[in-house]
Amino acid sequence: MTFISTALLTAAGAFVLVSLAVVYRLVRGPTMQDRVIAVNVIGTNTVIVIALVAAALGESSALDIAIVYALLNFLMSIAISKFTVERGGVL
Amino acid sequence: MTGTQILVPVRDSVTLRNTVAYAAESAVDAEPGAAPTLHFVYPVSERVTVGDPPEDATELLDRVRAWVAEDLGDNAASIGVETALVGPDEYLFNPGDYADVLGRYAAENDVETVVLDPEFNPSGMTPLLPPLETELERAGLAVEIAPVERPTRRFPLARRAGLGQFAVLFGWAYGFYLLVGGTLSTFDLATGAISGLVVAGLLWRISLSGFVDVSRLAGRLGRLVVYAPFLLWEIAKANFQIAYVVLHPDLPIDPEVVEFDAAVWSELPVTTLANSITLTPGTLTIDVSRRHFTVHALTDGAREDLLGGTLERAVRFVFYGRSAARIPSPAERDADSDDAERPTEGENA
Amino acid sequence: MTPREIAIALLAAGGVFFAFVAAVGILRLPDLYTRSHSASKSDTLAAGLSLAAVALTFGSDLSTIKALLLLLFMFITNPTAAHAIARAAAEEGIEPWTREEEVDE
Repeated sequence: MTFISTALLTAAGAFVLVSLAVVYRLVRGPTMQDRVIAVNVIGTNTVIVIALVAAALGESSALDIAIVYALLNFLMSIAISKFTVERGGVL
Repeated sequence: MTGTQILVPVRDSVTLRNTVAYAAESAVDAEPGAAPTLHFVYPVSERVTVGDPPEDATELLDRVRAWVAEDLGDNAASIGVETALVGPDEYLFNPGDYADVLGRYAAENDVETVVLDPEFNPSGMTPLLPPLETELERAGLAVEIAPVERPTRRFPLARRAGLGQFAVLFGWAYGFYLLVGGTLSTFDLATGAISGLVVAGLLWRISLSGFVDVSRLAGRLGRLVVYAPFLLWEIAKANFQIAYVVLHPDLPIDPEVVEFDAAVWSELPVTTLANSITLTPGTLTIDVSRRHFTVHALTDGAREDLLGGTLERAVRFVFYGRSAARIPSPAERDADSDDAERPTEGENA
Repeated sequence: MTPREIAIALLAAGGVFFAFVAAVGILRLPDLYTRSHSASKSDTLAAGLSLAAVALTFGSDLSTIKALLLLLFMFITNPTAAHAIARAAAEEGIEPWTREEEVDE
């Protein structure tokens, strides 16, 4: 295991820990939007973790997964925001 | 003659037909002998209607006349119907402007009741109705929003688009496909072309609007290259500020909501500015309606930076070139309240 | 260690630091608007730094372009998402927290 992959995997682990901390906000709320923010941040961190692991293991195809996940994450935030505003028209 | 002169601002919308029907009904229900009149008024705004020639307006008003005649039926003789264009020489921009021209028309014609189409939204995509309602009520008019079914979609997704949009979208989709695919084999070229065609065919009327000519685009891209490092620097600064504030034991924040009118126009610059504001020192764009920004500022310093207008100037530089960058900052514009944009009322609170 | 390795490690460390700041902000700040500040800014920068590290690791092939694409995408979508959420909150009538209200809490 090279220095780079160790460093990247460590960073990925740290991102996972940080995301776990954000789960507190996801559970506590108190509002719907707080939870959406938390989920959005966790999603972003997940994308980063996937990318970091991809880089650490030299698994470049995992980057495609990261891209798709990033798209889904964005769509999720927008969709929930649009949905919670009864009248729609968020963007 | 309370409630017998009814003003209905019209703009093409999905609920206009039902609004007209509702207005006609209320006119019929008005006290007998009061000789009610329905005024259908089309607010023309030069800025908004660049691609929307006045023929549209007259045509729409004709259509409204036809609908009213149909709805009134036997009562047509006792009820007057007026149609008018208002504000053709003015820039109507925010709800205040609309309330202003409508209010003037109302005053001239002794109108006391306004029936609003729930989808009345001449300024494009952002909601105009609640502030307009407030402004009209402040002008002493009785305002009623027509109780008609509001479909979930607030504005038509499809717009006028040409082959240019199709080609550009196809190019983007194809390029992205090949980029992610990573090969230029015949199979990829063929499937990419098919996917690109499907994407462009589905979305060409939705995703791009008013595409600019190539030479202007090149200039913008060039200036964008200058803008990007500046933005990155601002982002870096922003993050160290946030890090300081967040990690400080006392949490030294003083959040406040600031509203201002930015001197940028059209969708793309406004979007760029909104996102830039969100990314830079302690400010977060909450709402943008056309040019009116509602920004949440985390600290006092962030608020001053925002109104100092550095970012706004930078965005203007990217999209309109060097000369536009010299327009005064929001703080300065606010200082001389006789802004050319809003000749009548003061700033909205 | 080559300079490139050091750069990668520094970028990744920076990413972790700002992700940490974002998480602390989300946990500590008083209301959703302020939390959204920390989510949009710090987390975007964390993503930017980490993805730059990823791009650097892949050296110069297609994966680098993908990582950069992902980075660009993050920079565009994260503020937009934050904006959408904040706006949804504003339209629901959630009032922003201010200094004066601190007494009530």
